[in-house]
Amino acid sequence: MDTPASRSVYVAPSLTSALDALDEGGAAAAPFAGGTWIMRAPIRHELLKPRYVAIGSIPELHGIKIDADAVEIGAAVTHATLAAALAELSEFNVLTAAAGRSANPAIRGMATIGGNLATTAFAAADCVPALLCLDAEVEIASRGSRERIDLEQFLTMRSTLAPGWLVQRIIVPRQERKTAHARLPLRQAGDYPTAIVSLAVSLDDVGRVQTARVAVGSVEPVARRWERLEDALVGHPLNAAKAAHAAAGLADEFTGRDSTDVPAWYRVRVLPGLVRRAAAALGS
Amino acid sequence: MGLSLTVNGDHLTSTADPITPLVDVLREEFHLTGAKPVCREGFCGACMVLIDGNPTPSCLMPAALAEGCDIRTVEGLAVNGGLNPIQAALEACDAVQCGMCFPGMVVSLTHLLTTRPGATRDDIRAALTGNICRCTGYERIIEAALLALATT
Ligand SMILES: Cc1cc2nc3c(=O)[nH]c(=O)nc-3n(C[C@H](O)[C@H](O)[C@H](O)COP(=O)(O)OP(=O)(O)OC[C@H]3O[C@@H](n4cnc5c(N)ncnc54)[C@H](O)[C@@H]3O)c2cc1C
Ligand code: FES
Ligand code: FES
Repeated sequence: MDTPASRSVYVAPSLTSALDALDEGGAAAAPFAGGTWIMRAPIRHELLKPRYVAIGSIPELHGIKIDADAVEIGAAVTHATLAAALAELSEFNVLTAAAGRSANPAIRGMATIGGNLATTAFAAADCVPALLCLDAEVEIASRGSRERIDLEQFLTMRSTLAPGWLVQRIIVPRQERKTAHARLPLRQAGDYPTAIVSLAVSLDDVGRVQTARVAVGSVEPVARRWERLEDALVGHPLNAAKAAHAAAGLADEFTGRDSTDVPAWYRVRVLPGLVRRAAAALGS
Repeated sequence: MGLSLTVNGDHLTSTADPITPLVDVLREEFHLTGAKPVCREGFCGACMVLIDGNPTPSCLMPAALAEGCDIRTVEGLAVNGGLNPIQAALEACDAVQCGMCFPGMVVSLTHLLTTRPGATRDDIRAALTGNICRCTGYERIIEAALLALATT
């Protein structure tokens, strides 16, 4: 295995020490969270960084704070821990499913939410569409500065962030809403999803959709909201068949990713079915 | 500076680069060949070891981050030199074919047996999502796990 002797792993005991080490390391350094993406670099024919700053032992990055207004999730929280913490809060079903059903149990115990959001080259990340439909914000930090931005904005800038930054936490506002996550792996379990539809709706007194968020993952290189479908859902009772029909009429706005296991057209073709499943999971 | 690792209760040192996957250190330096690097991607589970009690694919764990942890490989799961309950059940059910996946299966199922004594067939299937077997079709492995659960 290609492992030059100059490589190092620094286990940061605190957020301050991690930010200092990342700052000093510059472009040669990167955060190391669960390692489930980084350690596969040789398989992707990518070089490892000379210096990693391990952030998995930093207490400040491990908290999950559930308040009346928002849930705050530390970036180093693992998928398994997140799914367990949110299991009883039905408004977060979309995120519980994203974190609790991706990959396999051992990976869910390692992979972190921060790593899931920060991995630019990973189109099939489950938590990204889930958090997009929950209107999540991301707090990023570097030595001496901190910034809170929309997840959508973070996704557009993450590949160009200067060295030294890391995702510190994710903030999800709490609202009365129903949510669901529909994913299609090629095998029933343990596989990457071919396509993902994350759905969040709030209903008015007579059961009409008041607000809708639909996010699509794994179809294009970066997950994004499906705003035309959201508009089509608002003002009507949520009905799985009608939602799927509307999705079929609007799916041509997506250009699927081509890969050896899944052709581009297939990722788009399955979207209406996933919309149907997500809407049906909300009891419609 | 060498790495200091605790494997099956033994304190061992390694001169490997810190980011070296633990599976390579186990096999190449410590000659513990139970864990197998098959996919090196976290998909197959053939390299599974227990790190502080949790099943972990050792292909994805840098050796440096295993310092200070209790590492258990399949070689360290036998009880007093004999088979542990899941190993005995796998043998009794004649579950093993080529055997490539079995060190990982034993690690994952030993964890299941000790942490979830009430596990159902579905729980066993879910727990083995990250352990791929190309030979057996899984059914005898699941029967063995149910037998071990019923008899321990
Ligand atoms: C077999 C297998 C199957 C998988 N299946 C799925 C799946 O179906 N769905 C899914 O969503 N995921 C899946 N994953 C997990 C995926 O690798 C992780 O979800 C995630 O993308 C990486 O998280 P990590 O903590 O391991 O990150 P790492 O590997 O530690 O890091 C990944 C990247 O993010 C950067 N990074 C990490 N943390 C931060 C931070 N706080 N701030 C800034 N940058 C950071 C690192 O520098 C690196 O560039 C799978 C993984 C495996 C091994
Ligand atoms: S070799 Fe580690 S999971 Fe396959
Ligand atoms: S017995 Fe051959 S891979 Fe499982």
